[in-house]
Amino acid sequence: MELLLPLLAALLVGAGVFLLLSRALIRLILGLVLLSYGANLAILVSSTDLTPLGPPLLDAPGPYTDPLPQALILTAIVISFGTTALLVVLAMKVYRATGTDHVPELLGPHDLPEPRLRYANPESPSVSPEHGPLEGPSESA
Amino acid sequence: MNLIALPVLLPLLAASLLLLVKTPRARRVLAFAASLLTLSVSVLIALRTFSGEVLVVQMAGWSAPWGISLVADRLTGILLLLSGIVGLLSSAFMGSSLRHAPRHGASAALNLERERLGAQALLQFLVMGVNMAFLTGDLFNLFVAFEVMLISSYGLMLLGNELAQLREGFKYVVVNLLASALFVMSAGFAYGLFGTLNMADIALRVAAHGPDGRITLVAGLLALVFAVKAALFPLGFWLPNSYPAPAAAASAFFAALLTKVGVYSLIRAFTLMFPQEAGLQSLLLALAGLSVLFGSLGMIALQRWRHAFAFANIASIGYLAMGAFSGSAAGLGAGLYYLIHSVLVIFALFLVAALAEKIAGEMYRDEGHLALYPWLGVAYFALALAVVGLPPTSGFIGKYSVLAALLAEPTPLRTAVAACAVLGSLLLLYGAMQIWRGFFWGESDAVHRVRLPTGMRLCTAVAVGLVVALALWSGPVYALASRTALDLQGNRAYTEAVLPSAPPPQEPRAP
Repeated sequence: MELLLPLLAALLVGAGVFLLLSRALIRLILGLVLLSYGANLAILVSSTDLTPLGPPLLDAPGPYTDPLPQALILTAIVISFGTTALLVVLAMKVYRATGTDHVPELLGPHDLPEPRLRYANPESPSVSPEHGPLEGPSESA
Repeated sequence: MNLIALPVLLPLLAASLLLLVKTPRARRVLAFAASLLTLSVSVLIALRTFSGEVLVVQMAGWSAPWGISLVADRLTGILLLLSGIVGLLSSAFMGSSLRHAPRHGASAALNLERERLGAQALLQFLVMGVNMAFLTGDLFNLFVAFEVMLISSYGLMLLGNELAQLREGFKYVVVNLLASALFVMSAGFAYGLFGTLNMADIALRVAAHGPDGRITLVAGLLALVFAVKAALFPLGFWLPNSYPAPAAAASAFFAALLTKVGVYSLIRAFTLMFPQEAGLQSLLLALAGLSVLFGSLGMIALQRWRHAFAFANIASIGYLAMGAFSGSAAGLGAGLYYLIHSVLVIFALFLVAALAEKIAGEMYRDEGHLALYPWLGVAYFALALAVVGLPPTSGFIGKYSVLAALLAEPTPLRTAVAACAVLGSLLLLYGAMQIWRGFFWGESDAVHRVRLPTGMRLCTAVAVGLVVALALWSGPVYALASRTALDLQGNRAYTEAVLPSAPPPQEPRAP
């Protein structure tokens, strides 16, 4: 457990960063979700060896698990739940408004390379996460 | 001492009420009254802190290392005052711009939607988050304050659903979520390492423990997170496109205060918790120099009002960080003076940009507006002098004292950063002149004036007046900034006020 949990946290963060670097909106969101899971696990791991002698407020004896990291994680989970929901809706609206789910096509009007907007129809996504830009009509997922 | 919880609670109450009120007029009045009340409470707190008192309230009576403390020292007092002023003016400006929005066409529907979906309420939530970040004495509560602030800023950023807002808003949300994940992780590490999240308690434990690689790691992670929020050079790439996206009043508030929350957290972290991390502070100093160059070059490159000023904002963050991390109390004082200057000037610039955009659109290309709008020209001229740092404005005093502090004990890094500061000022001068030539100077073929709403003009006049007042009363303000810097350098008063029963700090153990 001592070794497994840090490794798992590292794996989650690594997978999150990998997904964040990809070009499809939905992968970006999944990456952020994994990253926040990794963060929560890291909090839990980094405070496991902190077992104070007793709870700070009651007189009950005996070793207790420190409740504070769990409170921190709970807060972080609630916040990341809300923001992820917002992000999913936002990604949906961005896709409807710009017609693309491809991050490099979301350039501003004066970012240096000219944006090459591909107006896809919703039936066939302009870009597949696995194969990059799709040429011609494709099977919709 | 429950007074200092009010700058957090009042905006929360106002925002909740604003969501219930149905008519636009009542909303405007309520938002203005609430902002005025918040400002007056902030003035009360600021006046008490300026006399050297450190106000502390332990929330719900849980004593310091266990409960959450709200702390107001001089730095917090200054920033609360600024956030009160900027909040009041933004709320008034937003009310006026919503009221005088076009009655027909696409933008009329847009403004109606903004009004109906609670732009005013979101602004109050934003003020609440900003004030909480300035007041809190607890690292995890700082994270929560950041989230309150960011979530309301996501709302303001996206309200209206314009294409640019969606496109830039998505990037803004992703960058900030990433930074938040890092922040919560480093707060967890800090708890694992120190066994406490109270910033004063962390300060005592770090001082008692002496240098340690793990402390440097946590400090570095926190510095990374705060530098993303403060938009220091390589981490500020998200700012120039996203801040101009929302409505004018919101983007003025963002530019004036949200980046300053990041800088405030950096200053607090490195004066209170990790004063011994000299390496990280030198790194931040170098980044500050690069931010100045990046910001001033960007201001020249972009031909749009608010985009150019967003870059000017990055440059001014750079000057401020330069002072704050120059490593001396004089430099920190100069940086804090520049902080006050920067909040007021950038806010006023964004309001001027909002008026100019109402006249001739986003670009500042078609010239000759000085004859039609002489007062707007005067306002821009005064602000341009201030942002470039020419005498007799407060910008000159701020930049001069930052440079003087950097060159007092020159090292190669400090000299290089000072060179960046001088070069950046020249570039900013060129950028400001470019706008003057592009918009105000020359012959105009426009025949009639665009009527600017009185409320918007009044807010802009007050904002510019504050910048002029800062120049006129530089002496007392500079003295206040220097005293604040001295407070921050020897942070005994802060820790003693938060932890009255703690033993006096011991000498660092040998590593």
